[in-house]
Amino acid sequence: DEVRVRQKVPEVDPFEEASFAEELRAVMKESMEQRKQEILGRPALNMVIPMNMFEGSGKDHGRGAMAGESGDRAQDEEDGLSKEVPVRVLVKRGNKQQTRQMFIPSDCSLVQSTKQKEAAELEE
Amino acid sequence: EDTADDENYEFSKGDFTEHACRYCGVSNPACVVRCNIPSCRKWFCNSRGNTSGSHIVNHLVRAKHKEVCLHKDSTLGETILECYNCGCRNVFLLGFISAKTESVVVLLCREPCLNVNALKDMNWDLSQWCPLIDDRCFLQWLVKVPSEQEQLRARQISAQQINKIEELWKTNPDASLEDLEKPGVDDEPQPVAIKYEDAYQYQNVFAPLIKLEADYDKVMKESQSKDNLTIRWDIGLNKKRIAYFIFPKEDNELRLVPGDELRLRYSGDAAHPAWQSVGHVIKLTAQEEVALELRVSQGAPVDINHGFSVDFVWKSTSFDRMQGAMKTFAVDETSVSGYIYHHLLGHEVEVQMVRNTLPRRFGAPGLPELNASQVFAVKSVLQKPISLIQGPPGTGKTVTSAAIVYHMAKQGQGQVLVCAPSNVAVDQLAEKISATGLKVVRICAKSREAVSSPVEHLTLHYQVRHLDTSEKSELHKLQQLKDEQGELSSSDEKKYKALKRATEREITQSADVICCTCVGAGDPRLANFRFRQVLIDESTQSTEPECLIPLVLGAKQIVLVGDHCQLGPVIMCKKAARAGLAQSLFERLVLLGVKPIRLQVQYRMHPSLSEFPSNSFYEGTLQNGVTINERQSMGIDFPWPVPNRPMFFYVQMGQEEISASGTSYLNRTEASNVEKIVTTFLRGGVVPGQIGVITPYEGQRAYIVNYMSRNGALRQQLYKEIEVASVDSFQGREKDYIILSCVRSNEHQGIGFLNDPRRLNVALTRARYGIVILGNPKVLSKQPLWNGLLTHYKEHECLVEGPLNNLKQSMVQFQKPKKMYN
Ligand SMILES: [Zn+2]
Ligand SMILES: [Zn+2]
Ligand SMILES: [Zn+2]
Repeated sequence: DEVRVRQKVPEVDPFEEASFAEELRAVMKESMEQRKQEILGRPALNMVIPMNMFEGSGKDHGRGAMAGESGDRAQDEEDGLSKEVPVRVLVKRGNKQQTRQMFIPSDCSLVQSTKQKEAAELEE
Repeated sequence: EDTADDENYEFSKGDFTEHACRYCGVSNPACVVRCNIPSCRKWFCNSRGNTSGSHIVNHLVRAKHKEVCLHKDSTLGETILECYNCGCRNVFLLGFISAKTESVVVLLCREPCLNVNALKDMNWDLSQWCPLIDDRCFLQWLVKVPSEQEQLRARQISAQQINKIEELWKTNPDASLEDLEKPGVDDEPQPVAIKYEDAYQYQNVFAPLIKLEADYDKVMKESQSKDNLTIRWDIGLNKKRIAYFIFPKEDNELRLVPGDELRLRYSGDAAHPAWQSVGHVIKLTAQEEVALELRVSQGAPVDINHGFSVDFVWKSTSFDRMQGAMKTFAVDETSVSGYIYHHLLGHEVEVQMVRNTLPRRFGAPGLPELNASQVFAVKSVLQKPISLIQGPPGTGKTVTSAAIVYHMAKQGQGQVLVCAPSNVAVDQLAEKISATGLKVVRICAKSREAVSSPVEHLTLHYQVRHLDTSEKSELHKLQQLKDEQGELSSSDEKKYKALKRATEREITQSADVICCTCVGAGDPRLANFRFRQVLIDESTQSTEPECLIPLVLGAKQIVLVGDHCQLGPVIMCKKAARAGLAQSLFERLVLLGVKPIRLQVQYRMHPSLSEFPSNSFYEGTLQNGVTINERQSMGIDFPWPVPNRPMFFYVQMGQEEISASGTSYLNRTEASNVEKIVTTFLRGGVVPGQIGVITPYEGQRAYIVNYMSRNGALRQQLYKEIEVASVDSFQGREKDYIILSCVRSNEHQGIGFLNDPRRLNVALTRARYGIVILGNPKVLSKQPLWNGLLTHYKEHECLVEGPLNNLKQSMVQFQKPKKMYN
């Protein structure tokens, strides 16, 4: 079902735009201040990230990518738009931790840093 | 009863998906998240639409909500986004970090976890914290942005609307965007437009208009109770009880149609308990006698005949189906193809052709040969996703439509759906299509199954009863039992219903073509069917939402047939009519630049009769497919003023009157002259079935019927057989001779109904052999079109006065026409 519709350029109302920007800043500011209040007097936190996540990188503790996903990726590569790389997202389910595979654009800063390091390590 | 469960499973289909974006309706699970604030829990998508932030970000900022949850069918599954370390759920503080050596990422809050010293020693890279909300949009790999197509089909919400609805949600969390647009009780409704942003805006405009019309219809119909009726009892072939009674209709009021539901009541007396039963109208006679088939025969007081009352049982079904179709159009992406979706809304779409191999010849077996303009119509329709065919009177649009359906069915794209607003038109078309050899199933409303039809053998209910296979013997046995006993035991009834449904489905599935009314296309029995190709005949007589019902079953190729130069749909509610509900989809598509293909050869009227309509309504393009010889009234003796020109305008000076009901008009002089003309036709050798008397006013229609039966010079029975009808009800039909009584005759008030050029077109194009018009030229000539008609008759020496046996040319002076309106 291919259809070509002449797209309108969305008109952004400058007044709405300004009011939105202001509210967004307010929400950010409020969030940060709220947070600072909350953590005052609390003991320092310890990041408990399971080390076994790093052993045997092939293991996926949760559901893998959905069926449709791989198709999308192939499409993107064909178009030469942006390549995607698989990452595992670590989440908590109650007390258990799980990872699920997802695809991140290769130009995302998250991937970039790992890559650079890998490259650097290789050079060493 | 069957009707009851019909309604139960009807409208779940068009329902809004729970997880659809509350702004734009996008419901792809990969693209939406739920606001996790307990009092909110609304879903929003990650597209920006017409705003600088994505919908979810817009909501969170405007509502000051800060937590979200992913959809259970998204890649991560149902997940509340929170800091892995501390559980902070404020999305404005969250971001991803990645492991130094592995491709693992985790959500972490900025404050304090990103600054916890202990983490620095671990394998995580804290220097590359990647915020969850980036450029006012959720990370697109986590919450996908809907595709361009998805966004195009979504509601186009503006920043202002977002602001307004967020404000409204503060006091009414369940409010919908429609509530923003809702007019106050006394406000004029929003008028229809030519183009719409999206299907939601479309729905916002049409839904209130349909509601207005439905409310009006309900009040009007439910106020139609009649008391002191006399009943004649009978029993139908199906053993059901039938009550016959006269249901007099007053001017401009409700016209009963077969299939209408009425409640018959008896208030009780010493010997009879109070009783009531609902039934369907199965027949109506010209004498206004109604045959009502009762749903439950038992207990009817058949030994009494007097003192009954009847009420109209109003049904919302047709209006519900229109509302349902608009909803489906908006929320169901598969309801129509993208091309049709955008085109109907008036978006600029690149022209598309349908790639199909064209047949070698365009006619079809069992149909008359097509003429050049008909062949052209069939050929171009087959190549386009949207076509309009304009069929002026008598140009063979039914045959052309049947040929189109024949070729569509032969293309093997599945079943073709054929609709029209009226049952009469559906029957005519079904018959023609069936003549080509295609397998046709005509689906009737259950309430109309007892109404006789010229294509009964094509109807689904008939085919179910007569399907002749051994497996069906069980159904037949039960059917017989039901017919004999009136009802079945509950287990048998269950079995009967299941068998019937399965058989209906089987027969419907095996057809090449399904025919039903536009409203009938919303029948639950078609709910799971899909039709890529849809043809709607008489489409200029249906409202847009009515037209939409057959289209939202998966249309990819649509053909609308009609004539926007004839009368449009009847809208009873003035407010709704003023707002434009009477404009058909066909007309709007013409305004949007779709050029109708016009059929150009008329086979109905004597060439003298087609001349004026052709010049006035069709830019002179109407050609005659019949010759003067073929339309000569052989052996008929009638005083036409000009031989070979079977037409005249009979000058009348009698006054108009307001009819007894106060809502319509009549004209006694014209009525008595109509009787004289009818009598002259009958004496001259014309039979009653050849004559039609038409008039724009119900008051005059009733008066003429009455007058002729009392004062007719010949046998009463002859006049009873003559059809006297309103102009509007005569659309789509023809008679050999037409007598038109114009009624209006006053100095200052104008000509009301006659002002509509489309009504004049219909009135002038019903006759095959001859036409007589009765009216007051002094009054009518003020209107430019009528002035033109009068001048035309005068120039041809057909404007006459005096007694019928001595007609003389009239010298009456015309008035100067007022400026053209429109
Ligand atoms: Zn919320
Ligand atoms: Zn949205
Ligand atoms: Zn944290």
